[in-house]
Amino acid sequence: MSASARPEVVIDGYPRSRPRWLEIATSADHKDVGRVMIGASLGFLFIALVELLLMRLQLAVPENTLLTPVTFNRMLSLYGATAIFLFAIPLALGLFYYLVPLQIGARGTALPRLGQVGLWLYLAGATVLYSGFLFTPSEAGVNPLAPLSELAFLPNNGVDAWAAATGLATLGFVFVSIDLIATLRGLRAPGMAWRRLPVFSWAAAISSWLMLAIGAVMLAAIAMLLIDRNLDGIFFADGSGGAPLLWEHLSWIFFTGAYMLILITALGAIAEIVPVFSRRPLAGRSTVIASLAAIAAIGTLAWMQNMLTSPIGLGWMYYAMVMSLALIVPFGLVLFNLIATMVGGTLQLRAPLLFAAGAISAISIGLASEVSHSMVAVAWRLHNTVDATAATHFALVGGSVFGGFAALYYWYPKLTGRTMGETLARISFWTMAIGTLLAFVPLFLAGGDQGQVVDAYKFFSGTGVSADNLIATIGAFVLAAGILLTLVNAILSRTSGARAGHDQWGGDSLEWFTLSPPEPHNFDVLPDVRSERPMRDIREAIAHSTSPAEPAPRETQPVA
Amino acid sequence: MTPHSPGADQIDTLYWIGFVVAAVLIVAVNGALIYALRRYRGERGAQPEEGGAGRRTQVRIGGALAIFAAAIFVLSVIYTDKAQETPATGPTGLAAADSEPLQIEATGQQWLWRYDYPNEAFSYYKLVVPVDTTVELDLVSTDVIHTWDVPELAPKRDAVPGKVNHVVFRADEEGVFDGQTATFSGQAYAAMRTEVQVVSPEAYEAFVERQKSDIQAAQDRVVGLIEEGDVP
Repeated sequence: MSASARPEVVIDGYPRSRPRWLEIATSADHKDVGRVMIGASLGFLFIALVELLLMRLQLAVPENTLLTPVTFNRMLSLYGATAIFLFAIPLALGLFYYLVPLQIGARGTALPRLGQVGLWLYLAGATVLYSGFLFTPSEAGVNPLAPLSELAFLPNNGVDAWAAATGLATLGFVFVSIDLIATLRGLRAPGMAWRRLPVFSWAAAISSWLMLAIGAVMLAAIAMLLIDRNLDGIFFADGSGGAPLLWEHLSWIFFTGAYMLILITALGAIAEIVPVFSRRPLAGRSTVIASLAAIAAIGTLAWMQNMLTSPIGLGWMYYAMVMSLALIVPFGLVLFNLIATMVGGTLQLRAPLLFAAGAISAISIGLASEVSHSMVAVAWRLHNTVDATAATHFALVGGSVFGGFAALYYWYPKLTGRTMGETLARISFWTMAIGTLLAFVPLFLAGGDQGQVVDAYKFFSGTGVSADNLIATIGAFVLAAGILLTLVNAILSRTSGARAGHDQWGGDSLEWFTLSPPEPHNFDVLPDVRSERPMRDIREAIAHSTSPAEPAPRETQPVA
Repeated sequence: MTPHSPGADQIDTLYWIGFVVAAVLIVAVNGALIYALRRYRGERGAQPEEGGAGRRTQVRIGGALAIFAAAIFVLSVIYTDKAQETPATGPTGLAAADSEPLQIEATGQQWLWRYDYPNEAFSYYKLVVPVDTTVELDLVSTDVIHTWDVPELAPKRDAVPGKVNHVVFRADEEGVFDGQTATFSGQAYAAMRTEVQVVSPEAYEAFVERQKSDIQAAQDRVVGLIEEGDVP
């Protein structure tokens, strides 16, 4: 520094600013944690797709020998764990973690280090699952049912790795959920009463509480499985006090709850997107919120819907059916209100609304099929056929992929400061829509009519399902191509997307009050929330302010 | 798929009811969605309509959905109860199974089904049953969970280690019915199939007798070979 006449602040020993990757890797800021979680989950979506396509290639023709049975079973096990634990749930939680503090007017989360640990536990779980070169991957299937997952039947370390990986990830999800609950409880801006909370933040609150409940159950089940396999335990062994059905109950509580969590997240995001692109407030707002909460509770209590062929009493089966059929009411009300919001609006069919509509459509097909799977005697025919695969994939591809992409297109400007390409989005959407129908509708036919079973590495010629499976394989490739287009769009738009303003779509919730991307402290001033649509209030206050309007410089936030 | 047993018949009827219910729901949601997207595509400057679905509408929709769900529940209970009734053996069936169903034990094991008949004969893979006769399968497993599934004849049921599950059916015509195991059970799961051969009562009795004597003959031969010192 040369000598200067002007007064000068000199800082000694101030550390040089660290490289960006190190900054993100050590950051406990909810935006960095959320961005890494969303990015990682989208990466695992790609990996899950590769695994799905390999399995679909094997099932393209009858009695195919492309993959050995063991390779197929490993792909199946990896695909299940990747799609659920490494893609769908972390994408939901990542979106919540990034957006909830912005939506409720908080400068951060309540327990930032806990959320950071949650992210790293999830990444540690992913690392364990994909360290297969150190051990043999699991061959126990999507849900490793005991006793197949016991040491006696699969003596290599694959199931241990599966249990460790999903256990670490689940613990991470629980930590993130605890942080979200504490944030929502304690850090809402002045005036942000629960009744004024955006629907997506409500979905976050509901999903976090749900994850606390089901995550604890899954962690217990995983601990028991590890004890059985490594410490001569007998939790899931038959005789001497153990029971294989115990694993079914515990794991299905988790998987059913996770299914509900994924749908609640998607519907919560769609309930933000539809009003903005219809230029109309959400119809039946409190009904939608109450319905999402009901879905979490009733839906999880319907876990025995997956066990209708097990040796359980008929009374339990009817209980599962009551719970499953009761879901028609809350799901129906949410879908009704989403569509009722569009009716009478002025719809702008931009990418977020397009994907939201696709999600509503796919979810409705999945849920409607699930209704017939809940009718006990029908389950005695359809259980574990590829009809169930199709139903689950319609709901979860609808929720996680279509719904997740709708959220991605909608909040991408906030995440990155740039907008994703609209043309590529449209091509991607229609490719995905056609792919989804081609990939899963034939499975309804193969499963419902011909009884083709799930999880099998081959099917036999002459069973009347060859054409169905070939079409499904083609459809899976089309779907994958469509998904890839959006992933490519997201990657390219980071550097070349059109620059976004702070309020790209004319949103009503507070995340649009922050800069795009938000500064580390989120808000220069905490807004005073007076309604459930605070951004509209701010816009109106600016429009009606008596002082001559000053164009705000780009680097500062608009002030009411 | 044509059902060939009273239980499978009820399942088939309810399956088609479920199919119609699902189709109605899918058409309703997607029809409304496509209508809204086409009809209310906004032009520049168009103003959205005021007002929305009020509390009364919410209650009405919720109530209608609840009644719909209740109706499905009642229908399902009626058909499910019928589907799991034990029918009586018919006139052309096995006379010995007139009052009690014919009890056969089906044991799932990786990756083959074993059937144990009342006269202590057994068979693997192929189950032979008399036509028009009520058969009760006791499903057990010696290793992992398997699901016995011959959709044309019976509801599918899991064979869980340590538990006994039951399947009842009465085949209405002679023939061969294919089945496949429906719960993932490890390496050769996809190849774990079964076949139910429905034959006349006389043919059934002849089969189990021959099977029993063949098993006994094989046993005698093994013992004979050992005693003669031909096998170590």
